[in-house]
Amino acid sequence: MAVAEAYVSRPGRRGLSRVASSRRVFTGASHIDQAGLILLGVLVALAVFAPLIAPDNPIIPSIPFTTPLHGGHLLGTDEVGYDIFSRILYGLRTSLIGVLIVVSSGVVIGGTIGLIAGVVGGWVDAVLMRITDLFLALPGPLLAIAIAAALGPSYAHVLLSVGIVWWPFYARIMRGEIRALGARPHVEAAALAGAGTVRRGLRHLLPGAMPAIIVTASLDVGNLVVTLAGLSFLGLGAPAPAPELGAMAARGLQFLLQQWWVPVMPSIAVALLALGANLSGDAIADAMGLGT
Amino acid sequence: MKNLPQFLAKRLGAMVLIVLALTAIIFLLQKISHINPVHAYLGANASHAAIEKESAILGYNKPIIDQYFHYIGGLLHGNLGRSLRTRRPVATDLRAYLPATVELTLAALGIALVLGAVLGLASAGRWRGAGALRVLMIAGASTPAFLLALVGVLVLNGDLHWLPASGDTGVANPPGGPTGMIVLDALLHGEFATMWDGIVHLMLPAFCVAIGPAVSIGRVLRGSLHSAMKSDFVRTARAKGLMDRVVLFRHALRNSLSAALSMTGLQIGLMFAGVVVVETVFAWPGIGLYTEQSIPQADFPAIAGVTLVLGVGYVVINALVDVMQVLVDPRVALE
Repeated sequence: MAVAEAYVSRPGRRGLSRVASSRRVFTGASHIDQAGLILLGVLVALAVFAPLIAPDNPIIPSIPFTTPLHGGHLLGTDEVGYDIFSRILYGLRTSLIGVLIVVSSGVVIGGTIGLIAGVVGGWVDAVLMRITDLFLALPGPLLAIAIAAALGPSYAHVLLSVGIVWWPFYARIMRGEIRALGARPHVEAAALAGAGTVRRGLRHLLPGAMPAIIVTASLDVGNLVVTLAGLSFLGLGAPAPAPELGAMAARGLQFLLQQWWVPVMPSIAVALLALGANLSGDAIADAMGLGT
Repeated sequence: MKNLPQFLAKRLGAMVLIVLALTAIIFLLQKISHINPVHAYLGANASHAAIEKESAILGYNKPIIDQYFHYIGGLLHGNLGRSLRTRRPVATDLRAYLPATVELTLAALGIALVLGAVLGLASAGRWRGAGALRVLMIAGASTPAFLLALVGVLVLNGDLHWLPASGDTGVANPPGGPTGMIVLDALLHGEFATMWDGIVHLMLPAFCVAIGPAVSIGRVLRGSLHSAMKSDFVRTARAKGLMDRVVLFRHALRNSLSAALSMTGLQIGLMFAGVVVVETVFAWPGIGLYTEQSIPQADFPAIAGVTLVLGVGYVVINALVDVMQVLVDPRVALE
């Protein structure tokens, strides 16, 4: 009877249905986390609808060094005369797309490796986890700088290089979750009922590991926003005049003491995006009962 | 402690393997970087024969495995290749730039440890400010190092002129001492005015590098303090009537240090990335500035050298942290 019950109650259903309820994430959050969710929502909306909202074309110049709130430029213009507000909207777009690509590649690559290691076990587990540990033992951001520099400056290369160093963390977490779930009675029951390795892995173990992975991913976003902006700041991203927040801050650096808004505005945009993402990540973690 | 020698041997072996893997990765990156150092050194007008000759000297006409062993052999002799930008050996360049970076990283590490401990202890307590502190910590974790640096320069240098905003010293002839770190050299030479000048220059950049790692250390410390405060030994300590402060510092904190320690080791990797960005803003004459200047010139040998030196530093520091953890808490070695 106990075995039958364990088999019926599929693991992870509870966790996944909780994620699906985004209302719950919001209503259950503290006020500050709610503010974070709203902030992230606004920034995402600005990024998605950038072509509709942006008052100016981000790469067609007008008068250089207009101070903020003057001449119809909300956040002023830079040394070429580009409207900074419009460029930030497109920059947010670039940031968000980058974060989505890196996080999902981390989840897919790391998750698959962790899942295979955890389900198959034995020497496969040993080999995959040694490789994972090797990557975890190296300084990720530094290695990403070297990879991006070797590939040459472009935003795609930045994403590729960060993607290469970003997956091992997910592999570790996925494997840990799978191993922990593997000892539970419902998995034993599934094995007794004749479920093969693949079926057990995908139907009985993977769903149970998803909440931890989703929480990890959502807590990771803010971190990634800052890391990607840092690489772009170092000149590893797309060449000018592509609107990237980090690169905008770096190019504006020389005007800091006279036209402070040129480098500061895009930097603030990075910080706000990361803040919104971090607070939202906390709210999601709390809603799923995995908060710190 | 019977397992200690065994543990040390295993950790050392792992460290050597990781360093070897790092060299292999950097070697492969060099190969895929589309930059042929021979062409870069000799220029576009070099004759075919000259290129052949230089390739033979550098070993580029051999099989790739031989080239890797050649590369490793060079590394063991301190040969990191030649910078395409400065035309000097990378090892010579790094020797000139490394001390300033070590100085900045050490100062930032000191600030991060103190600030992390304060944040962790303060946010673990049950007082009214704990919630506000949590928000402050999230804000700290969300702020890119370059924003901190920009605002720091604007506020403290631009308007107030409190702290200098560029370079590591304002003194015309700083002592060219044994370490290359201004503050330490000035101290060794007894030039206290120069030393103070060095510290003043160091404060703002070090603080900018330290904020992110301090928050991470603080969060881990808070987490482990929370679970330690729920444990049986803390209940016992409370039950026998010890003051909250004594329970926190003497009982809970000691058992929470291990996680914070390993977080500190991991944060050093992030700190190196922060150093590169912050050095750019403050024109700090360290390897970060060297890297930032190398990137637009596609000077891969220089970047490879920086990655290797900082990467090895990171791997060694984390090995040391692991050993320290075992010494602090022998249970770790038995896992």
